[in-house]
Amino acid sequence: MLFSSISFLYYFLPCMLAVYFAVPRKFKNAVLLLGSMVFYAWGEPKYVLLMGTCVLLGFGFGLLLERYRDKVFGKICLAGSVAASLSFLLYFKYWNFFLENFSKATGIGVTVLQISLPIGISFYTFQLISYAADVYRGERAQKNLINFVVYIVMFPQLIAGPIVRYSHIAGQLNSRNHSLHKAAEGIRRFVIGLAKKVLLSNQLAELCSVFLDTTERSVLFCWLYGIALILHIYFDFSGYSDMAIGLGKIFGFQFPENFDYPYASFSITEFWRRWHMSLGSWFRDYVYIPLGGNRKGRGRQLLHIFIVWGLTGFWHGASWNFIFWGLYFALLLTIEKLWLLKGLEKSRVLSHVYTLFFVMVSFIIFNETDMRQAFSVIGGLFGAGGIPLVSQEAVYCLKSFGLVLLAGGIGAVPTVKSLVGWVWQRPGGKLLKAAEPAFLLAFLLAVTAYLVDGSFNPFLYFRF
Amino acid sequence: MDGKKRPLAVCVTFALALAAGFLLCVLLPKEEYSLSERRRLAPMPKLSAQELWSGRFMSGFESYAVDAFPYREGFRRIKALTATKVFQRGDNHGVYETNGYLAAMEYPLDEASLDRALLRFRYIQETYLGEGNQAFLSIIPDKGCFLAPLSGHLSLDYEEIEKMAAEKADFAEYIKISDLLEEEDYYRTDTHWRQERIVDVARRLAKGMGVQSLGAYTVHTQTEEFYGVYYGQAALPVSPDTIRYLTWEGMEEYRIYDFQNNRELSMYDLTAAKGRDPYEMFLSGSLSLITIENPRAKTGKKLVLFRDSFGSSLAPLLAVGYDTIILADIRYIPPDHISRYVDLSDCDMLFLYSTLVLNHSDTIK
Repeated sequence: MLFSSISFLYYFLPCMLAVYFAVPRKFKNAVLLLGSMVFYAWGEPKYVLLMGTCVLLGFGFGLLLERYRDKVFGKICLAGSVAASLSFLLYFKYWNFFLENFSKATGIGVTVLQISLPIGISFYTFQLISYAADVYRGERAQKNLINFVVYIVMFPQLIAGPIVRYSHIAGQLNSRNHSLHKAAEGIRRFVIGLAKKVLLSNQLAELCSVFLDTTERSVLFCWLYGIALILHIYFDFSGYSDMAIGLGKIFGFQFPENFDYPYASFSITEFWRRWHMSLGSWFRDYVYIPLGGNRKGRGRQLLHIFIVWGLTGFWHGASWNFIFWGLYFALLLTIEKLWLLKGLEKSRVLSHVYTLFFVMVSFIIFNETDMRQAFSVIGGLFGAGGIPLVSQEAVYCLKSFGLVLLAGGIGAVPTVKSLVGWVWQRPGGKLLKAAEPAFLLAFLLAVTAYLVDGSFNPFLYFRF
Repeated sequence: MDGKKRPLAVCVTFALALAAGFLLCVLLPKEEYSLSERRRLAPMPKLSAQELWSGRFMSGFESYAVDAFPYREGFRRIKALTATKVFQRGDNHGVYETNGYLAAMEYPLDEASLDRALLRFRYIQETYLGEGNQAFLSIIPDKGCFLAPLSGHLSLDYEEIEKMAAEKADFAEYIKISDLLEEEDYYRTDTHWRQERIVDVARRLAKGMGVQSLGAYTVHTQTEEFYGVYYGQAALPVSPDTIRYLTWEGMEEYRIYDFQNNRELSMYDLTAAKGRDPYEMFLSGSLSLITIENPRAKTGKKLVLFRDSFGSSLAPLLAVGYDTIILADIRYIPPDHISRYVDLSDCDMLFLYSTLVLNHSDTIK
């Protein structure tokens, strides 16, 4: 089930909220658990058993880890827990990739598995690993099975993150506050995320789709595609995170932030501090630092960076373009670390342009499993292949999507937020504040209209 | 409105919106058919353990939830207006509005598709055209060819299509009709042309094929409003069309036979004019094989009109000059099956197709 669907908005969510707020506090987690299972089963009924197995293993290993964390058996339990979680991920997500590449490399014919990727497996696997690691490091294990399952499968963050650390949420699982303020904040965040996804991201995805379907390439069209693509991916990911964080607040949780206006960055290093923050910090804390981080000399540090970024890319999808995408960032981050970072501080404009350009190139690679196609589009940005400067279709798309692109560009930097904050402090701000429910309702109606119309509504996370 | 009032207002508004949405979704009666989109709406899927386990119930329910949403037409209108007025999108679902006319963006030209269609026409001509008979080709421009240059939308390069067709279709004489057409000759909300506005086209074709053309006629007006296919697709507020049709002396003697359903037809089905697709009043819509016999003609001439739906409103106007017109829609009947039903010997041939079909000729058998 998608947050941006009629079935979620007008069937699942009203029922879920009604039951959740009707039951006494001690049953709220049980309701959340049941609702989350329905939510997950709606998209993947067969994989509920898989997820259940993973969660039960994680719960059992957690109890063992707490008991034996100072003993050798504790280390075995940690390895067992990580191996168990990763084995499911490797099998369902990466097995066919390995088989296909083995076949290509050796010429030996293999039969690939006819399996689909369980939705959200990358997210809940990482949460299970972080839980095991945190308990091994001294965090108290969760003794209540319901609370533990809720932590892993809670529907707001189950299929698209943010990746919530157990340490971050442990206290809230046992006891959390529900308040009007928090719920209103959550509603605001949820509706804005929904609007980002449906009103902006989906329209930008439409432009990307038009470009990918056309045979009429031009330099202008390649740039339009590149710009639309980075905005589409940002509004999709951050919109989903907003919805997750908003829903979390409504249910009394405080999830970590996942995006902090990454396109306002002045370097790739800064970009990755603002983009998919929960994933970045997960790799930092559970891979980069355990590998040795920067404590073992410059050479090892660079090696660690490449390992972490290769894995980050691979996490996004079982395809070479994702690995290449990760390594591309490793290279850029290394160059910045060694030489470029100080130079970038000299010109804010140039460093911003530099960052956006290289991020755009990265997402062209990200979005294209055929690397030749990706390089053809990147070359097309500079007219490679003898393509014309403009084409009829590109001009039309510029006119037709111009305002969507502009809205996306403005919305991707903190301008609107600052402006709203500024206006709210002015004398007329009270009126605007009073109109907030009307604005949110208007957004909700517009989103509903787009969904009812059956508009383009892609789901990006099926590969994650 | 500060303190607790604003959060309360936000929560209450949201809760009411969701609750109202849920109750209306559950309680309101459901439509089975969308008149504007001309399609059957998704029904509530059957609930069973097998359907749940396979996920079919869920995917069926997703479609049902969208199709059965309360006040769906209103929401589709809101979406269309948000897209075109707020976001200034040039089109909605590929359909745009210019000067009160709705048109679909048909772009780009698929040369392979045009080649494929011409290859099929060549095969038919070579296989079935008798000695002493002639084959003709004419291409009907899409409405967008006239509207797009005014509005900056994308459309097919009609001149290029005509040029290519004239070059490649050496098996048939090309009769140009585009210079006789303009956007007013088409319905505002539909793909098709208006019968009362294409008499000059019929006369040009008749002249080109060397037969008598339509003389005096009477125009009749249907009172029902006609919302065409683009109206439903675009969901934009555009005034409805009016269907008009022509009659002339002796027309009542024409005999029309539908081989698909083995029945006699009337030239204009006035019941269909009140139905889901009023354009179907012309020769009862999409039928694979029809004959029109004109006992008054006595010219000894027969014509096989290979056509799409545009031909339904034009064919009656050509009937004056032929003893028999055979209308074959080879999207629905393979050309080699036609001779099982009708005698194709000693017939002239006219391939009359719109650019919309030629650009998607995989529908042609």
